[in-house]
Amino acid sequence: MSDKRQHEKVQSRNENFADKVASKIWLEKPSEDNPYITSQAYCHGYDLFDLIRKRNFSDVFYLLFRGELPSKHESEILEALMIALINLGPRHPSTRAAMNAGIGKTNPTHILPIGIGVLGGEYLGAGNISKTMKFFSKNRKVDASKILSLLTEKLEQEGNHEKYDDICAENTPGFSKVYGGVDILTTEIAELLLEYKGAGGALKWGKQLSSLLEPHGIGWNPTGLASAIFSDLGFQPRTGACLFQLICSPGLAAHGLELANKPITAMPYVKDENYVIESQNK
Amino acid sequence: MKIMLSNRKTNSCPSVIKFLDENRSTIFSRTGGWFPGRGVYSHGHSMLDDLVGKKTYFQILILNATGKLVEKPFADWVEAIYGCLSWPDPRIWCNQIGALAGNAKTTVIAATAMGCLATDSRTYGVLPLVEGVLFITASLKKNELGASAKTIVEEITSKNKGKPYIVGYKRPIAKGDERLEVMEEISKELGFQEGPHLKLAYEIEEVLLKDYNEGMNINGYMSAFLSDQKFTETEVYNMFAMLVASGVTACYLDTFHRPANSFLPLQCGDIAYTGSPIRETPDRL
Repeated sequence: MSDKRQHEKVQSRNENFADKVASKIWLEKPSEDNPYITSQAYCHGYDLFDLIRKRNFSDVFYLLFRGELPSKHESEILEALMIALINLGPRHPSTRAAMNAGIGKTNPTHILPIGIGVLGGEYLGAGNISKTMKFFSKNRKVDASKILSLLTEKLEQEGNHEKYDDICAENTPGFSKVYGGVDILTTEIAELLLEYKGAGGALKWGKQLSSLLEPHGIGWNPTGLASAIFSDLGFQPRTGACLFQLICSPGLAAHGLELANKPITAMPYVKDENYVIESQNK
Repeated sequence: MKIMLSNRKTNSCPSVIKFLDENRSTIFSRTGGWFPGRGVYSHGHSMLDDLVGKKTYFQILILNATGKLVEKPFADWVEAIYGCLSWPDPRIWCNQIGALAGNAKTTVIAATAMGCLATDSRTYGVLPLVEGVLFITASLKKNELGASAKTIVEEITSKNKGKPYIVGYKRPIAKGDERLEVMEEISKELGFQEGPHLKLAYEIEEVLLKDYNEGMNINGYMSAFLSDQKFTETEVYNMFAMLVASGVTACYLDTFHRPANSFLPLQCGDIAYTGSPIRETPDRL
């Protein structure tokens, strides 16, 4: 290294930070004799006790993130989606992570964060939601057949099926091959939700696209379904990722806890003869 | 009860199903593994014969993160910079998560893991290193094609209404960065020479100091140094995944041993409510 370099003298910028953090979401009124203890709480102006008495969970869930109570139809389709995605199933990577935590006797309070963390991934996870919501926003007025042409052209150019996920993720986020084919369960859930009065433009456009993609072995995946409905309900793309983690989390906890009292032998352990270190075999 | 099964076709690709079947009960690893009675391997090295006790922890950490078994001086440099980037001050965002976790009486592992997770941030922590490496490597290519440091800076400021928003320069909270001179001294002691990325990084700093009174920060130094050592942005991101762990742990412990809710306690009125006025809750339709 050359001679000692001179840099700036270190000094505080004395930036003007806020005295208090602001929130539009929640108001807590203090008790008369202790300013730290809440006596009444309001969510976007609505008294928590009134919400408990008068509204259901999906109404207040919507309110929390959108600032207004949903219409009847909005509430119904949100609740239907919450049931549809309550459990991504024991083969989803995030659920398997939660199950590994459970069987490993990890502190039970960590099962959910572990599962939700993995659920943040871009493949069939919350990491794909924001991009997919933007895809709907940008393309819902576009003829779905144009999207199909673009995608099939790229898939044919590639030829290598290992790249299909990347190509779908790039060109039709929310629609993909799952295990090499159409995720028919999610496709049929989407069709069921289309029957709801709260079904909006993104879900309807997604149906058109999925019908065109289906003969090619491509279809809705859960992130696409969630993104379409989140878009129709007016949620922001950044919000969508967290909503997806929230609504899918019950299944993570349930599967993780299911294994929490079982011996480690209750899950498969790959035998040494089925463990191949490729670099050493080359 | 009649169970309805969908008769819908999945139109699946047979080659994908074959590929999945081949992987179904077999792990294929390009990294390594443990075989009881035979050994433990990482990137072709026997961990217990070649690495443990013979290489430092940071040499092993970098091997696992990048596949490269580096020389000890470089691993020592990485270890030193870990010390520069994890301080026990709970005002730093990731550390405050640790402090709040201590206040909430979580476990130390939850606190430390959550604090590290916070550094996957566009603003601070590990993720900006990716942008830092991409910036200095792209800038060096431009420089080799004839662009001066001043031209490189102007190209950026012209897109940002004259503001010098360059990753690796300027720093929130404070002006200047006390870690630079420490790391420069350590680099010298470890026998490293300034490479072309670092030389350009200093030239850019000179321009910024002269024109904007803003200098380099530790990200700029790290990004340039690591680019000179031929690490990619992804390798850099990987090797610093748990960069802030020790500072978070320290902040956790500081509050864990104090009464619950005593870390910067907030009165109800300490949150400025700016939302809708109190209103009547309508019945569900």
